Amino acid sequence: MPKSRRFFSAQNRRELLLPALFIAPALAVLLALSIYPLIYSVTVSLQQETPGGTVWSFGNFARLVSDSFFLTAMAHTFVYAAAALTCEFLLGLGLALLLNSQIRGRGVFRASLLVPMMLPAVVAGVVWRLMLNPNFGAINGTLKRFGVNTESLTWTASPKLAMLSVIAVDVWQWTPFVFLVLLAGLQAIPQEPYEAALIDGSSRWQTFWHVTLPLLKPSILIVLLLRTMDLLRVFDQIFILTEGGPGFATETISLYIYRTAFRFFDFGYAAAMSFVLLALTNVISAIYIKFLQAKEVS
Amino acid sequence: MSHKKAQKLLRYLLLIPPLLFALAPVYWMLTISLKSEVDQFATPPPWFGFTPTLNHFYDAFVTRSFGDYLLNSAIVAVASTACALVIGTLAAYALARFQLPWRLNRHLSLWILSTRMFPAIVTVVPLFLMMRDLRLLNTRASLIIVYTAFNLPFVVWMMRGFFVELPRDLEEAALVDGDSRLGALFRVVLPLVAPGLAATAVFCLIVSWNEFLFALVLTQTDAAMTLPVGIAGRVTQFEIKWGVMSAAATVAIVPILVFALALQKYLVRGLSMGAVKG
Repeated sequence: MPKSRRFFSAQNRRELLLPALFIAPALAVLLALSIYPLIYSVTVSLQQETPGGTVWSFGNFARLVSDSFFLTAMAHTFVYAAAALTCEFLLGLGLALLLNSQIRGRGVFRASLLVPMMLPAVVAGVVWRLMLNPNFGAINGTLKRFGVNTESLTWTASPKLAMLSVIAVDVWQWTPFVFLVLLAGLQAIPQEPYEAALIDGSSRWQTFWHVTLPLLKPSILIVLLLRTMDLLRVFDQIFILTEGGPGFATETISLYIYRTAFRFFDFGYAAAMSFVLLALTNVISAIYIKFLQAKEVS
Repeated sequence: MSHKKAQKLLRYLLLIPPLLFALAPVYWMLTISLKSEVDQFATPPPWFGFTPTLNHFYDAFVTRSFGDYLLNSAIVAVASTACALVIGTLAAYALARFQLPWRLNRHLSLWILSTRMFPAIVTVVPLFLMMRDLRLLNTRASLIIVYTAFNLPFVVWMMRGFFVELPRDLEEAALVDGDSRLGALFRVVLPLVAPGLAATAVFCLIVSWNEFLFALVLTQTDAAMTLPVGIAGRVTQFEIKWGVMSAAATVAIVPILVFALALQKYLVRGLSMGAVKG
């Protein structure tokens, strides 16, 4: 057996020593800081403080069902995720199709679109607080210049417009990401199917529907998966823009968990809620991955 | 005008609104950081043609503590990136190049990736309690530890990809020449994946620099507070200093934009790994 063979295939215990030493630190870090916290969190969620000391119970989980704040925060999270995902996908796909051709200045356009997405979420929040401020913000100021009555347009301070505002900010920041991934997907599609469609005399719409979309499907599923995961756990921008307000109007599940843990110091209940979120994201990602794999098999 | 030309023109026209929508808000923040208070609150608000001033930058970074926050952010980002790169690259190399028993290569890789998928809010409560028990709250060390773990799966996954793509001949040649395995790794393999390593490092820097939730929970004093938490603290105060806040936010985005432009090529690959948001 040549030496190089032995290098790459570990046959005996000595051969395994080096890879084990290489992998051990990474495993140790992840066990200590990902897995252990998760287990710790389970014990926290199953404990309740009573006058007679700490007792084990499912009380924190039982509370979830009857907590109307929790259910409202869940509803907000779904509305937020569904609305933002739809807008980001449609706009991102449109832009990707528009840019998927040799046009001058494409690089500049792409680089400019990167800007919102690279910003720290906190800065995105600051940017839009400055834009949306009812008194001196750019939006109302500019609308006023065109003679629009902006008295009722208080954006993040209005119970009606606050949710719309935070969704718009997410669309602003993350449509570029959808665009980038879909553009990369479009550019990976070979030319032959298009030539075949041209020969068949397919219309543009037919070509898009029967050639482009099916071939783009893996990219679409991946980008939708990643966006859905992020949207369901959204925290930073909303914290900066509205802190979940006015009242409870934009409180999503992550904000409610944060408030429960670090304002009311009810760590057990916060941990219980976080497991609902974890289960939810796991189920949804499993569904997406199933679709992805089905595509690969067929 | 021919049909084709008209179509091209239409394309450019369609691109203008998204471009404005993407950039105008950031430009607006930049103007606020440079405007005197009088211009900030003028109606109608001036987009152009105001007298710029650097007072807010001076106020933020010299008079107030934003200089400290900036330093904290830099130290935490660099230290956590370095730790994650060292630990992660070694693991990635082993997973890419050694054949482990029981199909561990595949199982371990997938398991490591899956730890990346936990929503941050799920681990923030137990990590806060752990750091409290270890008396590490309000220290940079707590953030360095957390961000190292946070970036590690990403490093392993990215670097594993780069190692797999690398042909094995060169390493084998080095071994035949009498290099040790470690020697082959450091003298032959790492120089070849240096661009990938750099791209991975920049992604980690961006993630650590932008991170908010853990920093918010783990640091509440000037000793360890990072820039995003410092900015957020000013936003939620009763009387907001808009100029100071914008100046700090402007400084916070400069390194990010420089980095992002430098690694456009790797961006899709990195972002598909969920690199930017946790």
